[in-house]
Amino acid sequence: MIKAKGVSLRFPNGTVAINNIDLQVEPGDMVYVIGPSGSGKTSLLKLFMGIEYPTIGSLEVLGQQMDKGQTSRIRQLRTSIGPVFQEFKLIKGRTVAENVMLGMRFLDLPQGQLKENAHDALAKVGLEHKASSLVENLSWGESQRVAIARAVARKPLLILADEPTGNLDKDNAINILELFKSFIDQKTSVIITTHATHLIDTEKHCKLIQMNKGTLSWERLG
Amino acid sequence: MKLFSSNAGYFFKEVKTMIRLNLFSNSLTIFSTGLIFFILAMIISGWWVSSRVVDVVQKEAEINVYLDDEILKNNTAVIQMVESIKGIEGVQAARVVDQDEAYNRMVEILGKEASVLSKFDDNPFSSFVELKINLQEIDPVLEKLTHLVGVEHVRDNREVLERLRNIAEALRVVGILVVAAVGISTTVIISHIIRLGISNNKEQINTLRLLGAPELFIAFPFLLEGLLLTIGGGILAVSLATFSISYLYVQMAGPLPFIPLPPVKELVFGMGIVVMSLSAVLGFVGSLLGLVSVNNH
Repeated sequence: MIKAKGVSLRFPNGTVAINNIDLQVEPGDMVYVIGPSGSGKTSLLKLFMGIEYPTIGSLEVLGQQMDKGQTSRIRQLRTSIGPVFQEFKLIKGRTVAENVMLGMRFLDLPQGQLKENAHDALAKVGLEHKASSLVENLSWGESQRVAIARAVARKPLLILADEPTGNLDKDNAINILELFKSFIDQKTSVIITTHATHLIDTEKHCKLIQMNKGTLSWERLG
Repeated sequence: MKLFSSNAGYFFKEVKTMIRLNLFSNSLTIFSTGLIFFILAMIISGWWVSSRVVDVVQKEAEINVYLDDEILKNNTAVIQMVESIKGIEGVQAARVVDQDEAYNRMVEILGKEASVLSKFDDNPFSSFVELKINLQEIDPVLEKLTHLVGVEHVRDNREVLERLRNIAEALRVVGILVVAAVGISTTVIISHIIRLGISNNKEQINTLRLLGAPELFIAFPFLLEGLLLTIGGGILAVSLATFSISYLYVQMAGPLPFIPLPPVKELVFGMGIVVMSLSAVLGFVGSLLGLVSVNNH
């Protein structure tokens, strides 16, 4: 699913965000990435999404080599990824349902399937009653859940979630993590960056990655 | 193709939202392109009308030959004269228009103003021979007519025709220049609007790219927006031009009834087709340029 070998990411200003990491994520893995702010968690997800490219090393995501020359293929690859961004990236002026459906419109799904997937995903995050609300009228926690619904509605092979529980209360955070875990049985891999270490469980298929100053310092199978 | 057909509703809804979110600037765009297209519509109509007038006048090219009074007194001489004229190469038909017919024709032309003729005690018009000729042979025909004995005066409409031709040519040149100016200004306006739209929706575009949307899927609503804005401008222009042409026809029908104007419906329909097609093409080209210029930066 993901194979990283000797991957480093150095920004033009010289900052080293990721430093020589090796990593392997298998289908159905649930990976928690923890670490202090600035440790490289978000940069790691950006590498997996093809927003940044490794300056050194080899990275393969869902069979696609991640390097600058492959932009159109990486764009195509992203249709198989369900991203949850730290800043949500919801489209203002559109409703909750429209935002969730937007992530699926170019996936060749029939119109009925599109609506059904959006409805199911919103139900799973407890927001089906907000389907017609404009996203700018939502609270932070609700916005985060819409972003999660958008990611899971398209039934991706890989979910990349950057601090998905950051704005949620404990009950909602647990629900969201349970939702992510429900994808494991379908062989979807889930990678979550989080500060909420108390919510992490160590069940089978769970991996914990500790990031520190761009290095992957600890990895443990649950 | 399926991507577009299955998302047609979404694309139109997106355009509606984009227009709504920048209602003021989009309304100004429709208004300004509408005014530009209105100028174009009026030039096209003027060009059309003048060409039509030239055509009609050309088809009805005629020469009036006024005979000496001595000949006019003798019917046989007049008939012989008409026969001689008919024999000239290039003359298609020749017939005598007597004083009464000349008078009645003027009554018809003047319409309501014909009462002015009643001020004359006698019929002020002379009999003449009316010739239908082949316009290409007007010069040799005139040359031969002036050498015929018994011809007092020859009147032709060549000068009027030349003037009309010049007006039509000038309108054609102005029309081409206006089409070029309209093309450039509309393309620039629309491409700027599209650039502005892209800039306003930068975050949305970025999000769609991160979600894996193809560039064409992202670009299509902007293309559609530009197209709809110029078509909106085109509709505004055609409406204004239809109103203006109808008004001008009413104004011209009274004092200038003898000008062979094309039917107003035909003119408006033709002008509408040209302006709407042009607005669609320019909207598409402008949007495309806007998208390309953004992609290059």
